[in-house]
Amino acid sequence: MDFLDRYREIVPDWEAFRAVQSRPLISTARINTLKIGRDVLLERLAEQGLDCRPFQWYPLGLKLDVDSPGKLLETLLGFIHIQEELSMVPPLLLDPQPGERILDLCASPGSKTTQISAMMENRGLVIANEPSLARVSALRSNCERLGAMNVAITRYDGRNFPRGLFHRVLVDAPCSAEGRERRGAGVIARGSCQRSLDLQALQIGLLKSALRLTVPGGVVVYSTCTYSPEENEMVVQAALDAVESSGGHLEKVKTPGLRECPGLEEWKATIFSPQMRFAARYYPHINDTGGFFVAKIVKS
Amino acid sequence: MSPRSSRARNVFEPLEREAVAEIWNSRFAIPESVFSGYNFFRKARSIWAISDSQLPGLSYEAIGMRIMNCKDRPWKPTTCALQVFGPYAEKNTMHLQAASARLFMEGKTQEVDAVTAEQCESGYVVVFYRGDVLGCGLYSHGKLVSQIPKERRLPGKEGEDIS
Repeated sequence: MDFLDRYREIVPDWEAFRAVQSRPLISTARINTLKIGRDVLLERLAEQGLDCRPFQWYPLGLKLDVDSPGKLLETLLGFIHIQEELSMVPPLLLDPQPGERILDLCASPGSKTTQISAMMENRGLVIANEPSLARVSALRSNCERLGAMNVAITRYDGRNFPRGLFHRVLVDAPCSAEGRERRGAGVIARGSCQRSLDLQALQIGLLKSALRLTVPGGVVVYSTCTYSPEENEMVVQAALDAVESSGGHLEKVKTPGLRECPGLEEWKATIFSPQMRFAARYYPHINDTGGFFVAKIVKS
Repeated sequence: MSPRSSRARNVFEPLEREAVAEIWNSRFAIPESVFSGYNFFRKARSIWAISDSQLPGLSYEAIGMRIMNCKDRPWKPTTCALQVFGPYAEKNTMHLQAASARLFMEGKTQEVDAVTAEQCESGYVVVFYRGDVLGCGLYSHGKLVSQIPKERRLPGKEGEDIS
């Protein structure tokens, strides 16, 4: 028995879910189109005889079965960026366009920030917010290595980000990270319902702030790498219900090539809005990835 | 820490694009048009570049990329900036072969022959390998000192090809 057992009733194929936790994940990387074309990069890796396979669902994602992928010349020169497979989903849902103004509210270490920048072809502006000075250095270093030229970094508490209207806002929230168990055992052991509830207050504050900062009709994407409904559906519901965020509706999350499970419509004694099924839960045994949650909100 | 207390340190002053382009042009013969899509700022002794767009009134920790350091003379370009602007350089460029490129990426100092250093005056140079910019090197009297930041270096392995 451990903390995960409380998810027994919501996770499909429970035994397979438990079994996969002890299988480590293969490294994954994203091709950085700000610096190199996909074909040239694949040719370079093939030339070196490296074991790399593009994802089925995203042509710029690669499974990279090598030791220390962070020390490849291609990584050091910023041609690729080591990034979790499902961490590439939220920017795709955000769908930033060249020339727009985007806010990444919890940006460090910048994997999604730089993916957004690449999708915008370095045009427009990405504000990458990260309150922790210690974490800003990783964010800056990744932006510079990857040649992201349209990113400016701020250090506000995301709940009180002062001003600005954005076309799209990403809230990749601090979370209990239960979905990262395959990266390093022990994450689950630290989990508890109380920890999730402590994080929930912060997460709701961040998502409400994001909705406040988005233009009407603009997009907010909320993501975590955890299973806890307290940090996922309950957060989305609370932020949508808050008067000051002036509402919004969920748009269905569908990524061709990946298998999503719908967001929950109820958890314990709480009933969520029926549109919560449009959010997506990713379980590690279904796509052979980590665990993830993502919701796409269109602001009213 | 609140943004208010960091504001005092973060004074980014706008710079004229032409002034920055002229400095780069004089050392590396990079056409001024290469810089046309960017805005430039100075903070303390560093110069920063960001894609051209309207910046909202916020307190910034970083504005785009730090492209050069004016603390010492001569001014020093950052490796990441050379990877963006260096491909357009027409002088003070150096093209390395596999073994010397590896040493360079390990952060080592090495001797370079006259043919390799043909286009180079003493000072900072753009170092290439197979058409890609590796980064910034300091060249003088037949020696090339790698300026690759520590966290971007290859781990040292003797006699191995980097391709």
